[in-house]
Amino acid sequence: MKFIRSHVTFIFPMMIILLGIEFFLAFDRVTDSYEKNLKEKYSIFVVSNEPMTLENFKSLNSHINVSEEIDKEALAKQVSEGMNQSGSEEILKELPYFYNIRLDSYFDVSMLKSIKEDIEKSKKIKSVEMFGDSHSVSYRLFSFIKLIFKVFVVFMALVSFFLVIRQMEIWNYEHKERMRVMEIFGAPFMLRSGVLYRVAVVDAIISTLLTSGIFLYFKYYWAQNSQINILMLRRDQFFQSSDLLILLGTALTIVIFSVYFVVLGTKDKD
Amino acid sequence: MSNNIVINASHLALSYGDQSIIKDANFTVKKGEFIFITGPSGSGKSTLLKALYGQIKPVNGSLVVGGHDMNSIKKNKLRELRTHLGIIFQDYKLINEWSVKKNVVLPLMIAGYSIDVQETQAERLLKHVKLSTHKERYPLELSGGEQQRVGVARAMAKNPFLILADEPTGNLDDYSSNVIWDLMENACEQLKTTVLVVTHKIPSVFSSPYRHFIIENKGIYEVY
Repeated sequence: MKFIRSHVTFIFPMMIILLGIEFFLAFDRVTDSYEKNLKEKYSIFVVSNEPMTLENFKSLNSHINVSEEIDKEALAKQVSEGMNQSGSEEILKELPYFYNIRLDSYFDVSMLKSIKEDIEKSKKIKSVEMFGDSHSVSYRLFSFIKLIFKVFVVFMALVSFFLVIRQMEIWNYEHKERMRVMEIFGAPFMLRSGVLYRVAVVDAIISTLLTSGIFLYFKYYWAQNSQINILMLRRDQFFQSSDLLILLGTALTIVIFSVYFVVLGTKDKD
Repeated sequence: MSNNIVINASHLALSYGDQSIIKDANFTVKKGEFIFITGPSGSGKSTLLKALYGQIKPVNGSLVVGGHDMNSIKKNKLRELRTHLGIIFQDYKLINEWSVKKNVVLPLMIAGYSIDVQETQAERLLKHVKLSTHKERYPLELSGGEQQRVGVARAMAKNPFLILADEPTGNLDDYSSNVIWDLMENACEQLKTTVLVVTHKIPSVFSSPYRHFIIENKGIYEVY
């Protein structure tokens, strides 16, 4: 019973840390893809006096990634409905050039304003419309959710880290006498701490497997059956095979440092 | 210094925390000698023993054990020295989660001996201390006297050149004490191991030749 409790009290906080990290990774991937989506949907409307290429726009601001010319013939057709051929050609000649431009990232409103100012500096540009209000609301909401989640994950990881330290102190107490006796008889560091390392490494592997198992369940069962569109579409971003290595690496790093400090704590005190 | 000298203390000063315990002590112990060090409680007997196995460092003077200067000994050398010492404690300091057999072979395990050698030595030592039938038991299942016999077997496991004992019979009844003294006398006589025992009283049953030092007023003096 004591053996099981000793392991569970280490595995549990370790799992919380790993869950936090995995949530962070998964959330980052999902939000990255959402951000990409927002970025792709968001465009700035530009009216120019002369034809503009993407290079022309890029020379005004390097964040401009895509420029799409809006077909002005179609516009002219709509405007000149009921007119004769020459009237229609006249309208087409008088119409300026219209562009939808897209950016390479999802920026806040101040950055958008600065991009707008850069574009407006060109004499070729007649006007720029950036739909800042709708963008600002989405961006603020998105940034707020991201921040809240990150703060929550950091807080959870901190609390769990203290629980791991607490368990280490208990291990320190349980193994102190054995390690002291071994030290008195000349045992080197690795032999003294071998048992503790074995226990901690096994617990780190168990924590990693359990955490991965939870996320695999989310990915292959829960998300699939959730009927929540965003989860079903972004299911692949929940847990990727590289995450297993990240989690295992983190867990092993935590135990190696923790055990090292436990063993150091038992040295030559009298 | 002669190879025959196991311990050499010259103007040795030791302290425990900020408190000075021993000042200007001079003594020499030769190979194969049996030494008793007595003194009242708190006189510094255990502190001296700790200095001999490198748990504390001298604050002044010099202390040489097995050719190693304990003032300047490096960590790896200290570890090596300790593998050639046998140490017996009043409170046994056995590892309670380990079987009697595993406790006995601890010094061999540390020295990297094979499992076969460990097994053979464990059988021999446990037979020597009359605990062959208890080898798979755990220390807390044994009496105090039996636990100390395990401690003596562990101390002798690697044929050390020096056995240091801190009140080895302090917690034992007369019968168990006599068994422990017999074992240590035998180690000294038959294996020519140097034995240094810190105790509050020399046992009346002790029959082998020995030297007696007393710690008094922070000094260490030989009693003739």
